[in-house]
Amino acid sequence: MTFTKYYAIAKTNFINSFTYIFDTLASTFFIGIVIFIFIYLWKAIYASNEIIAGFTIVMMLWYLVMTEAIVTSQSRVLQEIGEEVISGNIANYLTKPYNYLLYKYAYTIGRAILRFLLIFIVCGIIVLLMLGPLTIALYVLPFIMITAFLAITLHFLMMASFALFALWFENAQALEFIYSKIVFTIGGMLIPLELFPAWISGISMFLPFSYVAYHPAKLFVAFSFQNFIQVATMQIVWVTVFLLIAIIMYKTYIKRLQINGG
Amino acid sequence: MANKMINKEYAVKVRNLSKDFKTKIRGEGLKEALKSVLKPHYKIIKAVHAISFEVKRGELVAFIGPNGAGKSTTLKMLSGILYPDTGEIRVLNYNPTKDRKKMAYRIGTVFGQKSQLWFHLPAIDSFNLFAKIYEINGKEYQTRLSGLVKRFELEEIMQQPVRKLSLGQRMKCELVLALLHGPDILFLDEPTIGLDVVAKRSIRELIKEINEKENVTIILTSHDMTDIEKICKRAIIINKGVIVYDGSIKELKREYVKKKTIKVLAEGEIRITAEKGVNVLKKSVYGAKIEIDGNKTSLKNVVAKIMKQNEVVDITIEEPPIEEIIENIYRK
Repeated sequence: MTFTKYYAIAKTNFINSFTYIFDTLASTFFIGIVIFIFIYLWKAIYASNEIIAGFTIVMMLWYLVMTEAIVTSQSRVLQEIGEEVISGNIANYLTKPYNYLLYKYAYTIGRAILRFLLIFIVCGIIVLLMLGPLTIALYVLPFIMITAFLAITLHFLMMASFALFALWFENAQALEFIYSKIVFTIGGMLIPLELFPAWISGISMFLPFSYVAYHPAKLFVAFSFQNFIQVATMQIVWVTVFLLIAIIMYKTYIKRLQINGG
Repeated sequence: MANKMINKEYAVKVRNLSKDFKTKIRGEGLKEALKSVLKPHYKIIKAVHAISFEVKRGELVAFIGPNGAGKSTTLKMLSGILYPDTGEIRVLNYNPTKDRKKMAYRIGTVFGQKSQLWFHLPAIDSFNLFAKIYEINGKEYQTRLSGLVKRFELEEIMQQPVRKLSLGQRMKCELVLALLHGPDILFLDEPTIGLDVVAKRSIRELIKEINEKENVTIILTSHDMTDIEKICKRAIIINKGVIVYDGSIKELKREYVKKKTIKVLAEGEIRITAEKGVNVLKKSVYGAKIEIDGNKTSLKNVVAKIMKQNEVVDITIEEPPIEEIIENIYRK
C-alpha cells in the first residue's frame, strides 16, 4: 500500500519533468560544453602519456560523463529542501498522509532519473563522437545501474541531511555551495581520486562523498566484480548511515517546529 | 473502521487552548547583536490564551482575525502542525498532534495562495495521484471522481495542463482535489483570492453546495469579507490571542451595526458639525461623509438637522461594510 503511493509520486514527477524538458536540455547542453572543454584539456595532458593513473583518455572522459550524470541529475535539491526548512513550509506536509522525507525522495528520484538519462546520453554522444566508445561488456551494465542508483540515493540522503542543518544557518545557498564543492573535489567528480596526493586520496576513498561520484564512475570505466561488491556494500552502509542521520535530524526539526512554530 | 473514532456530533472541540512562543529579543546595533549570540534574551509571546469553542459537524464557520492575532496559530494547532501548551483539542475526535497521520486521511485543505495541483500536468493527473496518496479504493475513486467532475463541470477542463486554465477553473480543480478522499472537515484559506466576480460567486456556490450535500464541516479563513458573509453562517473572531466574538454573522451585523455612514452633497457650502454621536469622517466644500453612532444619538434627528441646515442635492445612508465592523471589534 505505502509503496504504491511513493512510486506514484516518483512516476508523476518523471512525467512532469518531460513537460519542461527543454529547460533540462538547455542545462544539459551547458554540461556538454564542460565535457567539450575537458576533452581538449585532457588531450593536452595525454599528449605525452597514454595512461595516467591507470586511466586512458577514453576512460577519463567516460568517467567524467558518469560523475556529471550522477551528481548534476540532482542539482539544487539541497537548496530546495533547505529553503523549505528555513521557511518552515515543511509544516504544510504534516497535514498530508505521507512522510516528508520519503515524499521528497520519490519526487526527486522521478526527476533525477530523467535528468541522469539525458545528461548521460548527451554527454556520452559528445565523448563518443570526439574520442570513441568505452570498452565495456554489456553484462556489466545492470551492475553499473545498481551502483549509479545507490550513488543517487546516497547523494540525496547526504543533501537532505545537510539541508536539515539549514535550520542553524538561515541560508540554504551556502550549504549547497559547500556540499557541492566537497563532492566536486574529494568526491572525485571532476578528476579521479588517483590523481590526488596519496594522503588525500587515501582518506577520500573512505569518505561517503567518493561513493557518490568516484567509486561508481571508476567501476563504470574499469569494472571488476570484486570491486562491485565492495562499492555496493559501502554504498549501502553509507546510505544507512545518512538515512539514520536524516531521520533523526528531521524528527528533531519537526519536534522543534511543533513546539516553537519555527 | 476509522469511522468508529469519528465523533458524530462535533467536528471540533477546543477547551482552554493556550500557546506561547519564545522569541529572541535584542537591542539595536552591533554590540547588541554580539551580546544576543553569547547571552540570548527571550520574550514570551502569548499567541493564544485559553480559548474555547466547538464546531458541530456540517457547520460553516469563518475564522477571522488580524495577522498575528492567534488565528493561524489556532488553525495550526487544529491541523496538528503545532503542539498546544495547555488545553484540549479534538478534531473529528482525534488528538491532532498524536493522531496526525490518521487524521490526515480525513481532512482536506485548500490554500488560495498555494496550489496543490501539478502546474504542468492536466488536473486529472493530480487527481489520480491524490487517489493513490490517500489510498482511495479504485472503484470508489472512479464513482467519486465522476460525481465531482459533473458537479463542478470539469469534463473539458481536467484534461488540459493546469497552467492553461483560468484562475477560476484552477480553483475548482483545487476544490475537487481536496474533496476526492471524502474528508469530514475542510480547511479553506483564501479560496477566492485573485478571482473575478463571476468566478468568486461560482466558487462560493460550490462550497455551499458541497457543505449541504455532503455535510462536510467547513472552516474558512479569508480577508474577503464577502466570502465570509456569503458562505458562512457563523464567525469566530480572534484578536490578541483571545476570542472576541463567536456567534452568527447576522448577529454580528445587528449588534455592531448601530453605526451608519451618511454621505451628503449640498448645493452651497456644506454645514455639518461634529457633535455627540456624530463623527465627521471627510469634509470638502460641498460634501461630507459622517458616521453616526446609533447608541449616542438618533439617526432620525441627525438626518433631519442636515436636511434643515443644507440644500441637500444627494444623500446616502449606508451600513458600514463588514470590514469596519470587524475592525471595530479588533480595536476593542
